[in-house]
Amino acid sequence: MTRKARELETLLLTVFAAVPLYFTNAVGKAPVLLYQLAMGAIALRVAMGKGPDILPANLMRWLAIAYMPFYFVDWRFFSGSAIAASTHLVLFIAVYQPIESMQRDNQAQRMLTTALIFVASLATSTHITIVVFVLVFALLMFRQFMYVSHIETVRSIGAAYAEPPSGRAALFYLAGSIAIGALLFPILPRVRNPFVSGFAGSLGSSATSLSDTIDFGDPRRGNADATVVARVWLDDDARASFTPIRLRGMIYDRYTRGAWAQTLRGIREVPSRGGAINIGRARGREGGAIVQQRAQRGKLYLPVGTYSVDGLPGRLYEGPARETYYTYADGMLNLSVRMAADTEPLRLTRIAPVDFPVTPEVAALARQIVGNETRLDRRAALIEQHLVRNYRYLPNTAASTAGMTIEDFLLVRREGHCEYFAAGMVVLLTSLDIPARIAGGFYAGRLNPLTGYYAIRREDAHAWTEVWDGTRWLTFDATPADLRPGSAPSSVLREYASVLGDSLTFIWDRYVLTFGLGDQISLVEDLIDWGRTAMARARARAAQEIGALTSTPYVTAFALLVLSGALVVFFARRRGPLFEELARHLARHGIEVGPAMTMEDALRELRTQKPDAARALEPLIALYEEERFSARPERGRAMKLRRRLRELRA
Amino acid sequence: MTAAALHPFEFNGVVRLTKVGTTYILGTVILAIAAINTGNNAIYIAVALMLGCLLLSGIASKGGLKHLHVEIRGIDEAWAGRPADGMLRIRNDSRIWNVRDVVLFSEGFAAPVLVPVVARRSDVLVNVQFLFPRRGLAHVNAVDSYTRYPFGFFLKKRRLRVESEVIVYPRLVQEDIARERFRPVIGEESTATRPGAGSELHSFREYVRGDSIRQVHWKKSASLGRWIMKQHEAEASRSVVVVVDPYKPRGASDEDFEEMISSAATFIYHAAQRGLDVTLVVPRVTLRARESEAASPLFRALALLEPLHEPLHQLLEREAVLFAVGRSAA
Repeated sequence: MTRKARELETLLLTVFAAVPLYFTNAVGKAPVLLYQLAMGAIALRVAMGKGPDILPANLMRWLAIAYMPFYFVDWRFFSGSAIAASTHLVLFIAVYQPIESMQRDNQAQRMLTTALIFVASLATSTHITIVVFVLVFALLMFRQFMYVSHIETVRSIGAAYAEPPSGRAALFYLAGSIAIGALLFPILPRVRNPFVSGFAGSLGSSATSLSDTIDFGDPRRGNADATVVARVWLDDDARASFTPIRLRGMIYDRYTRGAWAQTLRGIREVPSRGGAINIGRARGREGGAIVQQRAQRGKLYLPVGTYSVDGLPGRLYEGPARETYYTYADGMLNLSVRMAADTEPLRLTRIAPVDFPVTPEVAALARQIVGNETRLDRRAALIEQHLVRNYRYLPNTAASTAGMTIEDFLLVRREGHCEYFAAGMVVLLTSLDIPARIAGGFYAGRLNPLTGYYAIRREDAHAWTEVWDGTRWLTFDATPADLRPGSAPSSVLREYASVLGDSLTFIWDRYVLTFGLGDQISLVEDLIDWGRTAMARARARAAQEIGALTSTPYVTAFALLVLSGALVVFFARRRGPLFEELARHLARHGIEVGPAMTMEDALRELRTQKPDAARALEPLIALYEEERFSARPERGRAMKLRRRLRELRA
Repeated sequence: MTAAALHPFEFNGVVRLTKVGTTYILGTVILAIAAINTGNNAIYIAVALMLGCLLLSGIASKGGLKHLHVEIRGIDEAWAGRPADGMLRIRNDSRIWNVRDVVLFSEGFAAPVLVPVVARRSDVLVNVQFLFPRRGLAHVNAVDSYTRYPFGFFLKKRRLRVESEVIVYPRLVQEDIARERFRPVIGEESTATRPGAGSELHSFREYVRGDSIRQVHWKKSASLGRWIMKQHEAEASRSVVVVVDPYKPRGASDEDFEEMISSAATFIYHAAQRGLDVTLVVPRVTLRARESEAASPLFRALALLEPLHEPLHQLLEREAVLFAVGRSAA
């Protein structure tokens, strides 16, 4: 790879580092776009074989000097935040540095700037796709490190530039770093700094909220956001009774200034009894569920029918509207809830119909729908059925319904989105003097068979109607069932992809994004438990084995083994070292090998006295010396020598 | 080598943090603080990856150098103060790590050597220039290996053991001075009366095993019925006798002695270059060189000649050139 290609890679890496900034709220899109255009222009010039100076270097230097006071102006008046102003500054430096590199080598500084942009991107991103970004960035960064390392090396000894390591080497080290990083990630301390409060990027993409009011005068935005808001694990016996799931977070029970709003009653702590917090009284069939969610600005979304909440790390508050709940607990919450088919509020109060100016035409319509029916629940059901059958659902909540009033919806257009259906039903019931309210939250959700939970997404936001029967709220939903959120048919492939994506997101959210001190403690506890269990098992097994070892066959086998070992040692000792054996042989020929003699000396003496015997012994002495002094050990050499000595004696 | 002469990459110890490494570690620490401060697990991921990279960098550079082995090969001729060509065989026994950008340096090297890559379980040969400051038996016992690979965070060093002995010939005096001072004029003016490689016939002798057939005197061989060989008179102009007296008188410095050895070596070198037969006489040894290639034993003898502190009586031939400390050439 040429230097030009390397330079281009450096530039593109710096451009790439800023890509996630588009998807976060850390800085505006315009500065990022401007930055990338400038870097793109520099890269283009470099690709064309020109210098990176899109502006003259001197002018750029003056701009850099001028940027210093501008940083504070930016902070104070434009960005309004130190983080955004600092990110702007880093982006400016990233543009300045390639031009500066014409005058002095600043490769290391450029890498640092790139890393800072990367950190800014990373710190404000929470989506799982950031993993891909991190991996690609790390790969390219490793290549840069290797390149700089090579350049520094050749420069230090005045050698010529050679081909630096390839992308394959970078990939190898990336794999290694990921492996080590994966081991380190769970053990890095998750203890918050108690002295300086940090500033975290928004984690809002993991949760959602609905608006505080419903104003049909304002156009509603379509919401096709697939971000998971909550995950619900239903007990097996609860599935039949409590699906589809409705998570309720908002109650619109009054009409004021042309908008549906909540009746604000202040915040009231719900007392806890024995860990569980009761928010209602159960009637009818019961079931349990685990609800995992992140409280968005403190708001909790609980399944309709919930009468008891457990597992909340902080206190639970009711408010600001009745039967909506708040908590100050931070992070991902795993709530264990109990639900009942009918749940009564803890405190019974008189509920009045909504103060809505019902027109005579709407009242006439309501009377026409209910006919002679007198029972409150049946009246509500008739109205629900009427809306379901005779009104058209518009999935697109955009311009077509903008500004449409409830009267228009009920009497003229007869089409709208879920809020119209819910509000229309409330208005019809109000005209009949039946207390009713709009409930806002999320509906349905799909079961993820891989993980066993219902994933409830932001796009599942929904509104329905609740009717007061004197003791409890009954749920009605006038939106046609097959047009409610999550009812749109999808292909099998898409369903599989969705399920897989859900699972990945869950793993990401649960084991990466929200991995905390509690998880670390659990991990250590699990490890200790595992160790104890393993030790206990080993001890039990050992006790069992020891019992078996004392049995007759084992004792006999062991005794035989010891006896064989002793015999081997005895014969090995009896044989003595090779030197002794050769000396004994020489002694038979009348040569006494003294302590200061070598075998070579002895052989020389034997040659003078018995040349024939010396000739026969000569190869054995050579073999002995080879065995004794050779650096190369040879298996069986000693054995061969003993055998030949025996043959010689024979 | 003194501290002042250290190369930029040399250092004492086994590891040194580079500027890139310092910046990287600082960045990691800052990011770790940010992670703890915010509890943002995305930053924890980056910190874990950066720490992983740092650890791996240390393991890789250590693991790579640990399995390197060096052998010195092919130093044919080494003169003191002159670069000599040789080769290094570098073997990487590691099963895992490829080693790149390795700088090898030793006191015997003229300059550091860059080895771009030694793949795992393979070896490479690289050319290297040696430079020995003094004559004699030089030992190269260690070669220091340095690497920044893979990421340049650390400069790692490992001393590789080698077993190599080189006989370094004496330093040659500068060529222009030598040409003037050491022109072997004696032999050009006098005649030699001994057999040699000249053109004049000197005598006849019996055939000795190994004689060239070209030296056969065919006429005499035919008349006498056995092989008779011609012996030519050595050309006086092609012979010179050099006597080196290793006596170092009291008061003479080591430099004086070395200078004398260098002078003798330079004289022999130029004589051999001219194609003269050179005879070197040092105490207890007389060596002869007929061609320039064969002069190496003479240089080897000079390389290993130690000074004597007692005068030694040597018989001098009339036309011999004497080199001694404190005495000028005869």
